[in-house]
Amino acid sequence: MNRRTFLKVLGSGVPVAAFSCRDRREAERLAAGESVNPSELAWGKAPCRYCGTGCGVEVGVKDGRVMAVRGDEKSPVNRGLLCVKGYHLPAMLYGADRLLHPQRRLPDGSLERISWDQALALVADKFAHTLATGGPGEVAVYGSGQWTVFDGYAAVKWVKGGMRSNNIDPNARLCMASAVMGFMTQFGSDEPMGCYDDFEAGDDFVLWGNNMAEMHPVLFSRILERKRQKPDVRIVDVATRRTPSSQYADLYVEIRPNTDLALANAVLHLLVANGAVDRAFVRDNVVFMRGVEDLEEIGYGCYGEQAERYVFKDRGRPSSFAELEAFLADYAPARAAEICGVPEEQIRALASLYGDRGRGTVSLWCMGVNQHVRGTWMNNLITDLHLLTGKIGRPGANPFSLTGQPSACGTVREVGTLANRLPADMLVTRPEHRAKAEEIWGLEPGTIPAQPGYHAVDMFRALARGDVKTMWIQTTNPWVSLPNLHRFERRPGDGRFIVVSDIYPTPTTDVADLILPSAAWVEREGVFGNSERRSQQWEKLVEPPGEAREDAWQIIEVARRMGMGHLFPWPEDDWHEPMWEEYRRFTLGTGKDLASYAELRAARGLRWPVVDGKETPYRYAAGFDPYVKKAKGVHFYKAKAYGERAAFWLRPYQPAAEVPDEEYPFWLTTGRVLEHWHTGSMTRRVGQLHRAVPAAYAELNRADAAALGIGDGDRVRLRSRRGSLELEARVDGRGQPPRGTVFVPFFDESVRINELTLDAMDNISKEPDYKKCAVRVERA
Amino acid sequence: MAKTPAVVRAERRLYDGAPPVIPHQPLGAACIACHDGDGLAVPDLGYAPPMPHAATAGMSALSHCQQCHVFQRTGERFRDNSFAGLRQDLRRGRRLYGGAPPVMPHPVFMRENCTACHAGPAAREEIRTSHPERRNCRQCHLEERLSGGFQRP
Ligand code: SF4
Repeated sequence: MNRRTFLKVLGSGVPVAAFSCRDRREAERLAAGESVNPSELAWGKAPCRYCGTGCGVEVGVKDGRVMAVRGDEKSPVNRGLLCVKGYHLPAMLYGADRLLHPQRRLPDGSLERISWDQALALVADKFAHTLATGGPGEVAVYGSGQWTVFDGYAAVKWVKGGMRSNNIDPNARLCMASAVMGFMTQFGSDEPMGCYDDFEAGDDFVLWGNNMAEMHPVLFSRILERKRQKPDVRIVDVATRRTPSSQYADLYVEIRPNTDLALANAVLHLLVANGAVDRAFVRDNVVFMRGVEDLEEIGYGCYGEQAERYVFKDRGRPSSFAELEAFLADYAPARAAEICGVPEEQIRALASLYGDRGRGTVSLWCMGVNQHVRGTWMNNLITDLHLLTGKIGRPGANPFSLTGQPSACGTVREVGTLANRLPADMLVTRPEHRAKAEEIWGLEPGTIPAQPGYHAVDMFRALARGDVKTMWIQTTNPWVSLPNLHRFERRPGDGRFIVVSDIYPTPTTDVADLILPSAAWVEREGVFGNSERRSQQWEKLVEPPGEAREDAWQIIEVARRMGMGHLFPWPEDDWHEPMWEEYRRFTLGTGKDLASYAELRAARGLRWPVVDGKETPYRYAAGFDPYVKKAKGVHFYKAKAYGERAAFWLRPYQPAAEVPDEEYPFWLTTGRVLEHWHTGSMTRRVGQLHRAVPAAYAELNRADAAALGIGDGDRVRLRSRRGSLELEARVDGRGQPPRGTVFVPFFDESVRINELTLDAMDNISKEPDYKKCAVRVERA
Repeated sequence: MAKTPAVVRAERRLYDGAPPVIPHQPLGAACIACHDGDGLAVPDLGYAPPMPHAATAGMSALSHCQQCHVFQRTGERFRDNSFAGLRQDLRRGRRLYGGAPPVMPHPVFMRENCTACHAGPAAREEIRTSHPERRNCRQCHLEERLSGGFQRP
């Protein structure tokens, strides 16, 4: 924009924002000269409460209240920088409507304050009663990637080792289960081999369906800094809509929804055709596998019988490079270009980038790939690109999956708070894994059941049917975040009992029979694990408000009241460290070795495996990973099933579960915005963040909007086969969808866009696809 | 009563150290079109100061400014909030003796460009430098990183 147009814009009299009274009072106090020197505050370290980046913050406390945070310059994750959510963390604790006391719902729907003793006894009684009358299949715990390691560990031990049920699953099933299954199927062990150091070592960064500038802003700023220092660094944005990340991309590849599968296969096709395969690497380190591809058998988890229970299981069989060549014949660039709706040159550009041996390539992905009806396949294909070219297991060349929640890795994936898992990658279906858990937990052999429980969506379907009767939900807001929400609406007197632990009222506490007030973030001690395998410990820095207590304490106290106190044999005032050390035993010697609690206390986080006090930046890589005994190269020592090699999976393109048609002509895709985190229950209570994005909106392409007679700010109605709602249209906003697509963020509890989304799921991970369903758009 | 610059400054941030919100509506231009160099006097709107952190590691003209600075589209709150944050410390930097250059009373991280706040039309009177032409500020003004004195190990 040149100076003249700039001045014209100014001339249009843009109003300046208003500020609230409270801010003004604050400012007047300041003007009156009341000031505090930052050195009068006590500063403690903690990871940020929000995203999986895991930025380090220093928290400033005075008179028992958090007064400020600053980016921790000593944290290797963020080196002093934060994003706007992180800087505004302190206010998140002080919303006026914090939950302060346990409350029980009365028959007339109102809430009655009760004591902790009454509340805990009630929870224990309900769970014990359901166990006695219906068995372990009728109880369930729905947890969170925002749980600390302690909360998740207490929950998994209580559910699996105490109640002898596997009905525990987390909201992380909705956000990174496909990445878990990607890593498990290819390396026999979850979580990435690379780390954030790749941002300073890579040459090319390919974002697969990942709006990193908004979702992982601090990591994106590390890429931008790399590009500033090394101008030939390239950023490629493969996406279904233009976002702030696209503005920084050297190549923007706009694909049709779900066709990333075809695009990745076309790139593989070209890598083979162009002789870009690293044959020696493949010969020494890779096996080829192929799974079930029959669309009829696989389905989408939302039609017919699958709409009640989705249990498809993939069956892998050995394949070969020769079979791969034949398989890829279907993905010649011309055909793929047609499927994806992109110019062939872009596919060739991607192939030459992945095929360039002189350059390090880092692939990054998050929800676009994971929340996908073939999300595990897409995870496999991205890693396949790296396996075929040998760009894996060295600085600056890795496939790297990002996580959305602060401890999706540390708690859910590592502790194993999933229906089919136990700590440290172990599975309930394997007798030797159950035996190891029973041994560490001091339980009778045979205590842990072998049958996996319900995955998240099926758990709520079972609740709606009445097959689950008693459920405890902690640290998450499913009545905003589940897909196809109308399915799960509660009816009064439905005979279920739902306990919800949270810090603020939400649509989920609105349907709870019992609400428990939780301590948040630095109001308690904790450990989170971020996307790069870094475990970060913090101490309790302030008292929680009212009677709020930490989630793990709530679980332990209920377990005690159910006669399961033996599971938590530690002193009531000092159980974090011994609990951590017990949990740590699962990991030692497995390649997932966690640091001791003392080491964690002293460090700005440590990346596992931690052996002899030393962290591991690059897993499977000689010279970095203490489990690799070779002098150079990689060793995929966790992939026992494939002879300690990585598995390259052949995975085809298949369409989305629901595609636009005459009646519902638009794609609906959902997601987040930079300012709000997940369902907004925390960030919306921060004035600056709420005022920045006060409500959800429907982002439309300008041509579509014009054709429908809709202008920026007009009210529009969206309808899908499942629901309909009204909201504001946004045209030429920060994101620009292509024609035929509408984007709506999901943070706004008064515009629950998930009433419209479809509960179609990934066939392997059972993670729902929030990015694709069909809607109608009308003027309201 | 006209607001003092200190009050205006406080209104724009949650606490001292939090990034200020953007006090104008989107103008369509890249932020650095105005907030760079020595800043820019923008007719009808005011003076746009340069950003103080162009030299911070990881921050540059390439950066995504809205990672930290956000527009405010409404004056409302979703719910009330009782947070009371750290206020700006308006006490002066200490001097060893009367004529000695004062040490900086705040950390320098993210504020390496001293003149962004201490010189130019946006500089508040009480912190305006008398010698803006001497650009190497840290030749004389030191950052105080520790309280207490030197002790032999
Ligand atoms: S939300 Fe994420 S990027 Fe922002 S400060 Fe927190 S951890 Fe860092």
